[in-house]
Amino acid sequence: MSESSKFKSSNLNATPTLQCKDLHEYLKSRSSQFLENLYNYPTICLAVYRELPELARHFIIRLLFVEQPVPQAVVASWVTQTHAKEQNKACEALSELSVWHEAPIPGGLPGWLLAQSFKKNLKVALLGGGRPWSMSQTLEPDGKARDITFLDAYALERWECVLHYMVGSQQTEGISADAVRILLHAGLMTRDAEDGSAVITKAGFQFLLLSTAKQVWLFLQHYLQTAEKRNLSSAECLAFLYQLSFSTLGKDYSTEGMSNNMLVFLQHLREFGLVYQRKRKAGRFYPTRLALNITCVRDGVAPLEAKRTQGYIVVESNYRLYGYTQSTLQVALLGLFTELMYRFPNLVVGVITRESVRQAFRGGISAEQIIKFLEQHSHPQMLKTESGGIRTTSVLPPTVVDQIRLWESERNRFTYTEGVVYNQFLSQADFVVLRDYARAQGVLSWQNERTRTMVVTRSGHDDVKKFWKRYSKSS
Amino acid sequence: MADDEIPSDSSTLVIIVDTNPNQRYITEDPKILTGCLDAVIAFANSHLMQKSRNELAVIGCHFHKSEYLYPSPGKPLDVRQIDGQYELFTLVEKTVKMRLVNLIKSQPQEEKPGESLLAGALAMGLCFISKVRREASPALKISSRILIVTGSSDTAAQYINYMNVFFTAQKQQVLIDVCSLDKHLSLLQQGCDITGGLYLKVPTLEGLLQYLLWVFLPEGSERKQLVLPGRGRVDYRAACFCHRELLTIGYVCSVCLSVFCKFSPICTTCHTVFKIGGPLPIKPKKKKMKV
Repeated sequence: MSESSKFKSSNLNATPTLQCKDLHEYLKSRSSQFLENLYNYPTICLAVYRELPELARHFIIRLLFVEQPVPQAVVASWVTQTHAKEQNKACEALSELSVWHEAPIPGGLPGWLLAQSFKKNLKVALLGGGRPWSMSQTLEPDGKARDITFLDAYALERWECVLHYMVGSQQTEGISADAVRILLHAGLMTRDAEDGSAVITKAGFQFLLLSTAKQVWLFLQHYLQTAEKRNLSSAECLAFLYQLSFSTLGKDYSTEGMSNNMLVFLQHLREFGLVYQRKRKAGRFYPTRLALNITCVRDGVAPLEAKRTQGYIVVESNYRLYGYTQSTLQVALLGLFTELMYRFPNLVVGVITRESVRQAFRGGISAEQIIKFLEQHSHPQMLKTESGGIRTTSVLPPTVVDQIRLWESERNRFTYTEGVVYNQFLSQADFVVLRDYARAQGVLSWQNERTRTMVVTRSGHDDVKKFWKRYSKSS
Repeated sequence: MADDEIPSDSSTLVIIVDTNPNQRYITEDPKILTGCLDAVIAFANSHLMQKSRNELAVIGCHFHKSEYLYPSPGKPLDVRQIDGQYELFTLVEKTVKMRLVNLIKSQPQEEKPGESLLAGALAMGLCFISKVRREASPALKISSRILIVTGSSDTAAQYINYMNVFFTAQKQQVLIDVCSLDKHLSLLQQGCDITGGLYLKVPTLEGLLQYLLWVFLPEGSERKQLVLPGRGRVDYRAACFCHRELLTIGYVCSVCLSVFCKFSPICTTCHTVFKIGGPLPIKPKKKKMKV
């Protein structure tokens, strides 16, 4: 008998799922030197502070005005015994981001000490002092000041331009080579093998179904990664981004005193709609809501949305889908997972079919994403109708939701288990003995008596092997 | 007593600053008010620093009226960043200081300073909180609390107003925290106990900011995790409705539960006429009730 061919269960679900890290995870993946550099900016300190777990925030506040190291035992005594787990998590987060580090106190006990630059700059942000973030106090009032509604509309239009380009809509004039490069770098688009034009990838489709705040953050993450190539310091860029996110909507800020690199960066942000500038040389800019929402990418934190553009999708229990929209982007998004039937000036009608949904699954979109997207953009009318007396958590018809999930699980009919094959038994009796033993142990995955082949799970392999050795020796 | 387990998305804090000039620590050294105010402002800003959607209101409480110091009604001040401080924090500081000056200037000169109108200020705070709640989207979890920073003593004159405010706060799940700068405040301590807030009498005014940050910065859901000063014993004496004096034993109207120190045949609150069965002198024994 020989045992052979260990099955390697590789990740056969090879469709890449899009990773959207929040600031904490992003910073965690950076070197501590990079972090130290970052903490020279009060804006970053403020942003990092807000990202930390609650307890960690209180630790910092309590240590903020303490100059010498504080014993770790003292810090631990601030938290009640029952919440030791939360305390460990908080301490871990603080160490991970190099906000504090271990320092021995005179008695020899281990202590914690806040990073010098972090402490200094957080104090500056909280209490004042230091240099202003921008040279805006000398700015004269803008003769052509823009109000918040204008900025919202502008930001939305610019951002949709990027999305439009991704779905290959015809409006391509609004996007620069730089933005295309970022999309390519991020793997959201790829060069077509034949004519070199950019086409959307599977990850790109998933990207389209994210919320706007997440899209912006993901996009900027990739921008920062490519920033070094453009001679931009990513620390400086990140600091500027957070400076934007801590500014006031509807207020103008001066570009005076900004380095050339940052002016280039500003122009890029302007292109994506994160800031508004009337003219390139206007000397002032207005941050938009897109920039302000950078700090809200964490799950569960609802972004500060504008008075939302109302939902436009109606889904019926007969799988018909009506989209009240004129935007080609929205139509293209619907086209990802529906079969479009009619198109009217302000309405598209489609039907959700098995084929169309499977098409989306092949593109790496999950059922959950589709359902979430439909929920997010459902028409106000949908919120009013009751689904046939059945109270569900979703506003969508339950049949449709269930069916989409079923269609997904249909694709996952295989389950993969690691195992070891036993074959080439010399006699039927040997085979039966070993098979029955494996079965009794509950480690048998599969067997075929005719070919004398059996598969044992990975964990059971050692046990069965030992049994076989004992058995073959004794007989 | 808000929903304790789940951390909230946003928390609303109303700070009531007693600016009455007849507080002892101010009469001793008027300059100390500036120090206290700075501590309160730094504390307010630390609250705003916790989460991006945290809300803040500061109410100045004087002897002739209470007024919002922040946010200022109408258009916010046009503030430009002058140093490394976060713009919003600068705005808070500037607004509070400017409006406080206006408040103090507006006090009537001829009148002698009376008692601070803390109960009224508390009611204003509750109004602000309910406004924030109404305007927020229903999916948002908001925790709210009110912090009173005062150095004046609480007299029983506002007893009824206090109790009304405390029980309203309890119903609205608003915590009331009290930071006493001078004397022990038994009435306000009752309020803390009723609403589940914290009461602290600071031993010294130096390092006020540290006291505030350590004890009062954590919001309701976080307080369970931290070791904070305990409640202690609460003096639950009620004030009578006729002379506003604290009593341990008194008369209670059987209809409206008003408390009196002396027996009267007609309740002054609800005008109920009590039937007098038997001669009057033995009444006190019969109607005696513990409060």
